[in-house]
Amino acid sequence: MPKSMGYAILEAIQGEMRRDKLLTLFYEYQTPAAGWSNRSINLEAEFGRTRVRFCAIDEEWIVGGAMGMSMTGVPAIAHIPSMATFIPYELMFNHAGKLRHMTGGQAAFPMVLWADMARRWAFQGGQHADAGLESSYARLAGLKVVIPSTPYDAKGLMVSAIRDVDPVVYCQYPVPSAGPEVPDEPYTVPIGEPAIRTEGKDITIVGYAPQTAEIARAVEELKKDGISAEFIDPRTLAPLEGVMPTIIESVKKTGRLLTSDEGSYTFCNCAEIIARVAEAVPGAKFKRLAFPDAPAPGAPEMLNYMNVDATRIAAAARRLLKA
Amino acid sequence: MKSLTRRVSKIKTVPQKKRDGPGISRRSFVKSLGGIGAGTVFLSTGIAKRAAAQYGPVYTDGLSAEQLTDMYTTMLKIRLWETKIKDLILAGGFRGVAHLYVGQEAIAVGVCSALRKDDYIASNHRGHGHLIAKGGDLGKMLAEITHKATGYCKGYGGSLHITDISLGILGMNGVVGAAHLFAAGAAYGIKVKGTDQIAVSFGGDGSLQNSFFTSAANAASAWKLPWIAVIENNAFQIWVRSSDVYGTQDLARRADGFGIEGRVVDGNDVLSVYNVARYAVEKARAGNGPTVIECKTYRWYDHYGAGGARIGVDGAFGLGYRSDRELRDWMAKDPIVRFRKFLVSEKVLTEERAEEIVAEVRQAVEDAAKFAEAQPVPKPEDGLLNVFAEGSVPLHNS
Ligand SMILES: Cc1ncc(C[n+]2csc(CCOP(=O)(O)OP(=O)(O)O)c2C)c(N)n1
Ligand SMILES: [Mg+2]
Repeated sequence: MPKSMGYAILEAIQGEMRRDKLLTLFYEYQTPAAGWSNRSINLEAEFGRTRVRFCAIDEEWIVGGAMGMSMTGVPAIAHIPSMATFIPYELMFNHAGKLRHMTGGQAAFPMVLWADMARRWAFQGGQHADAGLESSYARLAGLKVVIPSTPYDAKGLMVSAIRDVDPVVYCQYPVPSAGPEVPDEPYTVPIGEPAIRTEGKDITIVGYAPQTAEIARAVEELKKDGISAEFIDPRTLAPLEGVMPTIIESVKKTGRLLTSDEGSYTFCNCAEIIARVAEAVPGAKFKRLAFPDAPAPGAPEMLNYMNVDATRIAAAARRLLKA
Repeated sequence: MKSLTRRVSKIKTVPQKKRDGPGISRRSFVKSLGGIGAGTVFLSTGIAKRAAAQYGPVYTDGLSAEQLTDMYTTMLKIRLWETKIKDLILAGGFRGVAHLYVGQEAIAVGVCSALRKDDYIASNHRGHGHLIAKGGDLGKMLAEITHKATGYCKGYGGSLHITDISLGILGMNGVVGAAHLFAAGAAYGIKVKGTDQIAVSFGGDGSLQNSFFTSAANAASAWKLPWIAVIENNAFQIWVRSSDVYGTQDLARRADGFGIEGRVVDGNDVLSVYNVARYAVEKARAGNGPTVIECKTYRWYDHYGAGGARIGVDGAFGLGYRSDRELRDWMAKDPIVRFRKFLVSEKVLTEERAEEIVAEVRQAVEDAAKFAEAQPVPKPEDGLLNVFAEGSVPLHNS
């Protein structure tokens, strides 16, 4: 049985907790245990309740406590549930993101804000949709933001996030298991390194997390029309310096960039990526797909009308190629 | 700007003369002086008088047969309507989600029976019961839960956001604790408007710990706001036991530090809940500030959905985080069975009449389900409306 993203993340944390005897996890109700008959992880059983601590519904404690702890040399992971992913925003903006700079390099926050990101579910929507939050965190100075879309990346990025001496926001969207098998041993996927999912020459498509499944389907559809699309998953949304060269090189080759964002349109991550490519590749053509600037309605009739999906991505790609 | 002016001019001041809540006449209550004994209900007048001298007002003593029957009927509505939802979920293909309230009916009904129609309630994710007790329509609520175009929120919100401002229902809310802020804010608004309304927030034991409750409590205490926080302590925050994550076990004691009166009451005893709520309401209406009421109770189903439940069977068993025995113990304290026994022994109802009411409510629930089923689904493009008061937002997916 292939490892799920949830399992891969727990395996990353388990490895790092074995390596670093101080690393501590705060969480609310998302039990850090997973597995099946002959293979399972239970962090609380292995490391005890002091280092694997479930907390009250108190996101300020979970993140603020993790900040104070990490500032004094106890690296921490703060696991925030969906629907509460914005509550720590002030703490991350004014403290975790700023204090290294404000203290002339003294203060360090080796912490991970591990945010559960509900996508937009039919029959829930509304406050149960955290989609787009990643771009709000990505524009805060001093924070790194990573967003895995395969179990393999999920484990490698979590290891990197834990080992990073700076605060990292780790956005976990539910995504179907896909991609390479997840090794049992610890390994890293470096922060700031994008992945070229499919090589192509006609058009560049950029998207991350749940959008990668839609884009992958769109790329297959386009292939049937003889269109060769290059699909790049940035994996890191901040800082973008490491990510951009790969995307810029690709657009220099294809001349066209189509992006598909999980979040809503205005200030979505891909808007920033497009702006940077526009500065670097004169004459390139662009198209940006995203959810409208609206909350997510729960009725699937409305939701499906507003979502970006594979068919719409493929259609937009064809139009951009004609432009 | 234009729309703002228009909306402001629409707001009407609430008539202050109409004081009586649904079916409750003020005159009919025995009122005495002093503090009150929460969890104590005395209906025979002699005992009531003595109790009153000792513990304070025993409002329940004066409840008419009609009012008591209404309370019983409303509790049944919550129970049977939600049980229907549980069965629909288990049958498959249900167009919605639900955090079931079954087991906690005495709290919603006890509190809302002490309120007037123009009082406000702010509810949480487990709020169906609060809304029904405040007068919510079973059919329109179910239509909303199944995201139909004619539901309370036109299918946008679903279970977690059912709102009817005209009934003083400021909405269910998915973010834990937010209701406390909403209600305290509404209470401040009441002060500004100069009416004698009340604003009540419902929250679980889990709702005390992020800063929402703290902010609400401080403001309500500092400015004597007509705010009542009802804390439904069902022991769990999803699967986490509050006793494992809180240093204080009687959650009403949280009020002490704010200088707010905190009361603990048996949340499975509708009359006890009513009694304390009525006390808090009278106090707040008289301008004497907020009360925090902790109701000890238990939910019969899982945190969410119908895990561990079966069609036609009450309760969710075999859940990893609690024992079946603990659940059975609480089910033996069924607030409806208990109240019904009491009503029969007090000769408010005969067994036959009590049973007839069950049948009537069952029929009303079936009618609501049929109504909801027949309702149309929303138009896809309506998803772009209601972001702002006017106009629609553009699509960006093609
Ligand atoms: C701020 C916030 N944090 C976390 C959640 C996820 N969540 C939804 S309900 C719930 C438990 C609530 O427990 P309690 O307040 O006791 O109410 P109960 O479900 O027991 O009625 C949690 C943790 C949320 N919705 N909002
Ligand atoms: Mg609870």
